[in-house]
Amino acid sequence: MMKRTLTGIAAVMVAALALTSCSSSGSSGGDAAAPAGNVPLKIGNFLDITSWDPALADIGFDGPYLSAIYDPLVVVDGEGVPQPALATKWEVSDDFKTITMDLRDDAVFSDGEKFDAAAAVKSLDYLKAGVRSQEAYQNVDSFEAVDTDTIAIHLKKRDDTILYFMGLGRSYMMAPKAIDDGSLAKTPVGSGPYILGKDTVAGAEYHFDKVAKHWDSKDFPFDPLVISPLSDPTAMLNGMEGGQFNVIYGDQTAIDTAAANDWNVSSGLSAWVGLQFTDRTGATEMGKPLGDVKVRQALNHAFNGPEMLKAIAQNNGAATNQVFPDGTTGNLSKLNDLYKPSIETAKKMLADAGYADGFTVKMPMAPPFQPYQAAVEQVFGELGIKVTWDEYQFMDYMAKAPTYPVFVGVISMDGNAVATVERQITEPQWYNPTTSLDAFPDIKAQADKVFSADPGDAQNKEIEALNEMVTKEAWFDVWYQSNNSYVSTKEFTVTPVTGMMFPTLRHIHLEG
Amino acid sequence: MLTFTLKRLLSGVILLIAVATATFFLAHAAIPDPTLGLLGSAATPEAQAALAQKIGTDRPVIVQFGDWITQLVQGNFGDSWRNFQPVSEQIATKLPVTLSVVTVGILISAVLGGVLGVVAGLRPNTWIDRVVKAGAVVLFALPGFWVALVLVMLFAVQLKWFPAVGYTTPEQSFGGWVQSITLPAIALAVGAVVMIAEQLRNAIIQADRQDYVRTLRSRGLPQWRITVHLLRNAAPASLTVLALMFVGLLSGAIVVEQIFALPGIGALTQGSSQNGDIPMLLGITVITVVFVVIVNFLLDILLGWINPKVRVK
Repeated sequence: MMKRTLTGIAAVMVAALALTSCSSSGSSGGDAAAPAGNVPLKIGNFLDITSWDPALADIGFDGPYLSAIYDPLVVVDGEGVPQPALATKWEVSDDFKTITMDLRDDAVFSDGEKFDAAAAVKSLDYLKAGVRSQEAYQNVDSFEAVDTDTIAIHLKKRDDTILYFMGLGRSYMMAPKAIDDGSLAKTPVGSGPYILGKDTVAGAEYHFDKVAKHWDSKDFPFDPLVISPLSDPTAMLNGMEGGQFNVIYGDQTAIDTAAANDWNVSSGLSAWVGLQFTDRTGATEMGKPLGDVKVRQALNHAFNGPEMLKAIAQNNGAATNQVFPDGTTGNLSKLNDLYKPSIETAKKMLADAGYADGFTVKMPMAPPFQPYQAAVEQVFGELGIKVTWDEYQFMDYMAKAPTYPVFVGVISMDGNAVATVERQITEPQWYNPTTSLDAFPDIKAQADKVFSADPGDAQNKEIEALNEMVTKEAWFDVWYQSNNSYVSTKEFTVTPVTGMMFPTLRHIHLEG
Repeated sequence: MLTFTLKRLLSGVILLIAVATATFFLAHAAIPDPTLGLLGSAATPEAQAALAQKIGTDRPVIVQFGDWITQLVQGNFGDSWRNFQPVSEQIATKLPVTLSVVTVGILISAVLGGVLGVVAGLRPNTWIDRVVKAGAVVLFALPGFWVALVLVMLFAVQLKWFPAVGYTTPEQSFGGWVQSITLPAIALAVGAVVMIAEQLRNAIIQADRQDYVRTLRSRGLPQWRITVHLLRNAAPASLTVLALMFVGLLSGAIVVEQIFALPGIGALTQGSSQNGDIPMLLGITVITVVFVVIVNFLLDILLGWINPKVRVK
């Protein structure tokens, strides 16, 4: 009996080895021969697609998946500037309340329906009603098909960010019949450069078949195209080293490994890291000290952001003390020296504010923020600030953190300066439920100037003035801004987009 | 036997209801406002309110429980709060992945652990036994994730015999399927092999000391027939360990699925937990409990078949 068992084991092992040596499954083959004129692209994304229905999708990591199936009306470039896609050009009316768009007339949905103004309006109405996509269309009154290849977006009030949000992934056009069927989440139907392939294994490997006559086929030379979600950075790097991927979302280890493998690394700013004040007026008992601008400024002096960037983020980011992405409109390099790191200065300012012995504060903590916990304890300790931590799971952190007067934040940034004004300063967000604008009339007035200034230089000037005010008022304690990075084999480069965790296929290019 | 089977089934149903109820209220207590996790950085107050209305969390928890339990008894797990697709459909696509890895891992454990346990048990205190025992200590001490990483680095990254990550269905390619689950199954099996070998070895040594074995030997029975008798008496303990292993490996699969990027229940559980997708978490819990009940039920039947004394007890 034992002999039979052992023979059986040997047979299974021989079979496995034989299969190993001859099989060419969908999982392997990063170095497989490419069909002439096309280049295989196998992407290791960080998360699985939220939904194939653009109205239900997240824009964070859904970019590459959705951009394969759907064409957007507008796409943003690496600077966050809206660029034409299915909308070839657009005009904003003098009162800023109507946007008129010319549409392509050569796009066809994969079910055979033609893309036209009526289809665009249907998609936009659907997106406006979508639970997740509605964020882009808060100020829209209606969409109108002016003629077969022209639409008008009528706004309830001026909205300088709508084109930016549409370009981030909120203007994917869907086939009208699929919208009516309610079948998009299962069977996506777009006019994009690919259709979902039958070899797809949900959650593991999404295979895409190239559309033969796509209107923009030259920008999509990727064939075969495979996108795999892998939430583990080590797994992603292993897949890259094993030849299974040629573009991945890279962590520091992947970046360090890139040079030895002759891989490209593309990095773009994605979030600011520091202390988020939620009680800037000292309205709560515990947050009372933070209502004093000297205390907030003292905390800005106390933390050595550039050193934290080196030590914690391995220099993968930018040393700046502002919420506007470094090197973009709004960010002022002259302000970076405003709070020179000095614990002595911080102590003196706290003493001037009446807190020479510090104060007591409770803060939330969750596993992703633990790298910063020691730095906060050390700095607060030197200032005499006694901090106690309430531990949460990451998901609870989002709900609980804003209930504390101050918390360690890694807050996403936008590549559009007006969007930054809205999301960081004027509009309530999960991390900033009470904007405090009413308590700072000068800042409120300056924000109003931003929203009423003519787009372009005049508006940019007002944005810079606003940033200077909030930075001087120490509305935030920004230690540094961190990067998102993408590692690719040498045939590819990736254009990072601030505001997108993973760029779309339009941001992945062939070298040369 | 019928009474025995019915009792087992009834206790399984009671366990299922108790665990499902407890999980429902624990999940809702732990995640008081799931809209934040579900919406992420786009969680504006308007979006939160719209989502809360869509998923029904703007209603009292007890009302939500009533709806959920009513759906559950009709075999409906509801829709995911993340992508609004039926929970059952998503679990159905993930479950085969986890079951593939866990089942192959258990088979490897049973065969290798069984062979090593029998060999060592029949020759106690010989060099073979010492090698098995020493090997067991070393292998059991190795963390599963470390074994998995070593396997990936050696057989996938360096030798490229197997894919480092990903899963291929048997329908796509049987060879690809074998390739994609071999390393994860081995990584899962390493700890289980030594536990089963150790258990079986000890049970055989214990059984070998029984009077009936001495009697069989004195009657001149060949060793293979004595071994069969030994196995019948030693098997129940090992099978119990194997069943416990199966249940344990279902949860152990989370780490292995992460390292090999397999789209299984482990990855689904982790993602759903991070996002606050309560219907998905509840669906996974219910399915897992069902599996635990089934495995224990089958174990009881198997033990009764191997050793009739168990039935009498």
